[in-house]
Amino acid sequence: MHHVIVERWSRRRSWMHARDARVKLAALVALIAASATTPPSHWTAALFYGALALAGVLAARLPVHSLLSRAALVLPFSATFAAVNWLAGDPARASALLWKSYLSAFSVLLFVSCTPLADALRALEWCRVPSLLILIAQFLYRYLFVISEQAQHMRLAAQCRAGGNHDWTFRGAAAALSVLFVRSYSRADGIRQAMNARGFAGRFPALAAPRFTWIDGVFGAAAIAACAGVRVMA
Amino acid sequence: MHIPDGFLTPPVWATLDFAGLASVSLLARKARAEVDESRIPLLGVMGAFVFAAQMINFPVGLGTSGHLVGGALLAFILGPAAAAMVMTAILAIQALVFQDGGILALGPNVLNMAFAGVFAGYLPVHFLGGRSRRAALFAGAFLSVMVSALMALSELLISGVRMPAGALWISLALFAVSALLEGVITVAAVEAIGRLQPSWVKSRGGGMRAPALAIIALTAVFLASVGITFASASPDGLEKLIERAGPAGRNLFAAPLAEYQWQGLGGEWMGKAAAGVLGVGFVFVLCIGFARLARSKK
Repeated sequence: MHHVIVERWSRRRSWMHARDARVKLAALVALIAASATTPPSHWTAALFYGALALAGVLAARLPVHSLLSRAALVLPFSATFAAVNWLAGDPARASALLWKSYLSAFSVLLFVSCTPLADALRALEWCRVPSLLILIAQFLYRYLFVISEQAQHMRLAAQCRAGGNHDWTFRGAAAALSVLFVRSYSRADGIRQAMNARGFAGRFPALAAPRFTWIDGVFGAAAIAACAGVRVMA
Repeated sequence: MHIPDGFLTPPVWATLDFAGLASVSLLARKARAEVDESRIPLLGVMGAFVFAAQMINFPVGLGTSGHLVGGALLAFILGPAAAAMVMTAILAIQALVFQDGGILALGPNVLNMAFAGVFAGYLPVHFLGGRSRRAALFAGAFLSVMVSALMALSELLISGVRMPAGALWISLALFAVSALLEGVITVAAVEAIGRLQPSWVKSRGGGMRAPALAIIALTAVFLASVGITFASASPDGLEKLIERAGPAGRNLFAAPLAEYQWQGLGGEWMGKAAAGVLGVGFVFVLCIGFARLARSKK
């Protein structure tokens, strides 16, 4: 599963993984904002942005091919709109839709592949994103794995009972959804009681506070300056 | 419906990101006040449930299937403010982990699906839920998908993404089918949950005594979305009359926001956006003023 693999990548060790999540977030936003404001037909700028993202992947020692192919998930949607724009006589916009959406997906994939989601959410909290939203996202991500697996088990069980590759009927799917809901709801109740018993005070304690070093500062400044430089030259 | 980065122009995503951030901040405060701290795990788990529920395919014939989107179901289960926060968290995780929707387009996506979608889904349940739960759920789920889709299409069109009339109508037809499917799945899911836990379902969906208000609210939500997409650039009746009257009919009064444009601001889009926001704010303040006056007279 996609998120399982991304989670595994984010737990690796590399120079890029060791950087402060807040700095990586700032660099990500700088790269995407610079590319989003670049005029559509500037292919040279697109190549420079791509090179910057690729340098990040190499620094993070992540598998380039896997990242390139996973980022391509955005392409069917973008390609549809690009084809419509190309047929409508706007090839510059059509190409921009493709490269900008792909570059953004690739950069975001790089960010989450070298930053555990808990650290990324903590960086967002530091940026004054409401703590309630951060808490919900943390619980959501934690139980996404558990409940998704349960849904897959239910689907497999239904297929086994049907004696082949038959999928659910409409009523069967509704019943499966209701069972999943009731199980999730009762699980949430159990979690609530367990969290209260452990003294949960509306905030997840961090095992280690984020440390901002001078290397983080240099990396952040260099990344933002590079993005701004390419944008200005374009 | 998840808009990726690179589709919207900078003024559109910047404005909608700002509006999305402000809405998240306001609704987080409201949800904090409404939801007991010990129920926060429930919100997260319900978000995970909606994610997982999207893996369950509902066969709809001709070898195709659909899945739940979940905005209306979440609004029915958790109430609008909490549901909007859960949907925002879902969209953020989708953008970060699954690259489904852009980072700069997160504000627009949150406004389309987490706010407009959830609130459009909640309105029928709020106003009609007590009388006919099935119809209210169906209408809510239908509206939830349609309003989100129409807002997304409008934002793309404002950004200059070309969509010939044929492609636009095909998209609308596909969205309408998805919306109908969402309605059927939501009703089927709640009915099935009701069979497992009847008391739980009965305790949801208040039902109010103002169907006229419900119709007005729903029409306003629908028109606000559709109107942007299909707003005509041609002059209306009064403007046509002024044009015919010639110079005598013009410049009797120089409106500060003429042509829905704030002249002081640089770009055309910025001017229109600023005029729109000012106009909405002005109408809001007027409505509050009239309401307070009416209450004090009572």
